[in-house]
Amino acid sequence: MTLHSFIANASSDAVSRGARPIPAEAGIGLRLPHHAVVRQTAPAAAWFEVHPENYMTPGLADELAGVAERYPLSLHAVGLSLGSACGIDADYLSRLKALERRVRPGLVSDHLSWSAASLPTGPLHLPDLLPLPYTEEALAVVAANVDRVQDALGRQILIENPSTYLRFAGSVLGEAQFLAALTRATGCGVLLDINNIEVAVMNQGGDPARALADYLDLIPAAAIGEIHLAGHAVCPLDSGRAVRVDDHGSRVCPEVWALYETAIRRLGPRPTLIEWDTALPAFDVLQEEAAAAQFILDLAAMDRAPVPEAAHA
Amino acid sequence: MPDLISLQTRMADALLHGRFAALGDQIVAGPVAAQEALGLHRNTVLCALSNALRLTFPTAEALVGEAFFDQAALAFVAVHPPARACLTGYGADFPAFLETYAPATDIPYLVDVARLDAVVEEVGALSVGADGGVIDLGQMLLTLDASIRLLDLTYPAAAIRDAIETGDDAALGAVDLAPGRYRRVLWRVPAGAAIRPLGPAAFAFLAALLDGAAPDTALKAALAEGADLIALQTEIFAAPFARLTMSPTLETDR
Repeated sequence: MTLHSFIANASSDAVSRGARPIPAEAGIGLRLPHHAVVRQTAPAAAWFEVHPENYMTPGLADELAGVAERYPLSLHAVGLSLGSACGIDADYLSRLKALERRVRPGLVSDHLSWSAASLPTGPLHLPDLLPLPYTEEALAVVAANVDRVQDALGRQILIENPSTYLRFAGSVLGEAQFLAALTRATGCGVLLDINNIEVAVMNQGGDPARALADYLDLIPAAAIGEIHLAGHAVCPLDSGRAVRVDDHGSRVCPEVWALYETAIRRLGPRPTLIEWDTALPAFDVLQEEAAAAQFILDLAAMDRAPVPEAAHA
Repeated sequence: MPDLISLQTRMADALLHGRFAALGDQIVAGPVAAQEALGLHRNTVLCALSNALRLTFPTAEALVGEAFFDQAALAFVAVHPPARACLTGYGADFPAFLETYAPATDIPYLVDVARLDAVVEEVGALSVGADGGVIDLGQMLLTLDASIRLLDLTYPAAAIRDAIETGDDAALGAVDLAPGRYRRVLWRVPAGAAIRPLGPAAFAFLAALLDGAAPDTALKAALAEGADLIALQTEIFAAPFARLTMSPTLETDR
């Protein structure tokens, strides 16, 4: 089976189970403090994305089901720990599957990272998206975990490139190369986080535009199923240097908008999410950010529209 | 380079306990030094767990202040790190931890405040209006809300919580902190968790039913606490968390 046909089949499987597809428009990350606004005013939004971990209780699953009745919905997990050598937490996976079956999301995604480890004292799950060494062994581990999740959910998932502060000495593959190999091995898609490229490359020394080009050169355009945009903080360190922290706590910065425009010009319109997690602003600020992304998507759609033939006299 | 499982075990342990030296040779030096990068990850982990506890225990935090709470949270995290991805329910052991947390011994009511916070959080995560067990009382059926939880406290944690939630410093100052018996029932309502006091008999009756006791056994437990039927009628049968209906067999007979 080719990658293209796998993705088409996986997407149509989800849609045939009643999932509302995510449009190639700008959506908004929905956080708990904004639920009342959404419930009471049904604001304009092309689609919403949530972290499923916040809805794994009956009361909040009820709330999310109400949102899913009115908006296309994407589940963006942070808890699968796809890079863990100790495997996938079966209990977590079954909870994710139950929520997926209930709200029927158009997309499901998680990160190229790990959080869980098996210590002599017992299992440990650190609430952070920790970096992986990009080795053949790690690729096999992530591929096996992605296979397990896709088999359990009966659908394709998207894997997001992480924001990182460090690189492992043992890495033998580039990040884009690693993700491209993962899509070939598993048929998963890619969630391209443009802000994460800016953050990771600036923290490790390099050119974000070159890194983005690597992604777009190495990963088939059809495999890129979603894009994330967010703000980040630039924080001074005790050493006098600065670090970019992916805090999702501000508007998207100009450098990230420029990278996004480049990506969309090359890929064409893609579902694009505005993520905002800390110092959460009023909902209309998120709508403004989504409108800015939508403007770029609309321009790309116009560029790709067939030019009408001149009318014959 | 160690294999992945060894690397992750070492890194998880290093991040949890702040022992970064063991990982230094695994990380390439870049604009952000290895120790700084690991420090950022450790900070993310600890902040996320402290925040999870803060969200579950808002009254306890308000009572002792942010700095004291953060110290207690970090001490708890060091010995009770999460084992699961989903942090819902993380901190269930926090009230018990506070019982032995030396800096909190001067605040004896803190444990009960934390216990109440934990149950409010637990109830608030359940569905609204879900039916729990149906108890056959003979001519009538008693249906209890699935979200009912009982608390038997030594200190007036609900009064403290009310005063803190409403920002009423005078009411907080007026709370009698003498130890006693404070029996409370909690259940899910649209706004979150409702809390009501229960008398000894109603508490004993409801506790026995929730434990799966037969109605007669529950009634005996209530009588042992001096129950009268009017108290049970007011506090249980007419309460919003309970519904009395006629038994279908009786309806058929009619």
